[in-house]
Amino acid sequence: MVGISVDDPRQNAAMVEKLQLPFPLLSDPDGTKAIKPYGVWHEGKDYARPAVVVVSPDGRQVFRKVGTEFSDRLDEDELVEQLRELDKETDLELGMVDQPPPETQQPEPGEGAFPVDALVPYFRGVRFAAIAMGIRASAAKQEADALASQAERYIEAARGLQG
Amino acid sequence: MKGPSLSAPDFTLTDQAGGDWTRSEHGDAACVLVFYRGDW
Repeated sequence: MVGISVDDPRQNAAMVEKLQLPFPLLSDPDGTKAIKPYGVWHEGKDYARPAVVVVSPDGRQVFRKVGTEFSDRLDEDELVEQLRELDKETDLELGMVDQPPPETQQPEPGEGAFPVDALVPYFRGVRFAAIAMGIRASAAKQEADALASQAERYIEAARGLQG
Repeated sequence: MKGPSLSAPDFTLTDQAGGDWTRSEHGDAACVLVFYRGDW
């Protein structure tokens, strides 16, 4: 697993350390090397849409999920379930390997980067806003509930980072 | 994803340590590419 964004390597080093990520983060500043070739560039925003692409060992995209905006992303349980389903299809031979923890260089957080202590209050705000939206806009209740649930999982994860 | 699988473009990007990371050099297992906005 790798993460890919327009952030530069030192910003990515800061994010790996802050979130204790067990996988590398890759830098594609203008999107030309991976983000655009995979068709997930967000025109007008100049960054990637939230997307998950699973590439088989023989070089095929065997799963794609592309979100519309930054909060519209595949949740972790659904991703794991999709990988299990794909792995059952024996012709794919996805394989499983251990991934070494990523090394980092001198980190330099971006201007918009949240300090770790800000993550819990931020996602609590997201959760309450989503709940309110679901109450006010019944047509969007399903999406609002999903966003509130996502925020709850992120709150728990962020609490784990605070030690 | 329905229908025939798309081919996956190869690429080399710089990782968080300043080294090169090439997708085709990690072909011993499936590779999960997670694209995101950044600036976190």
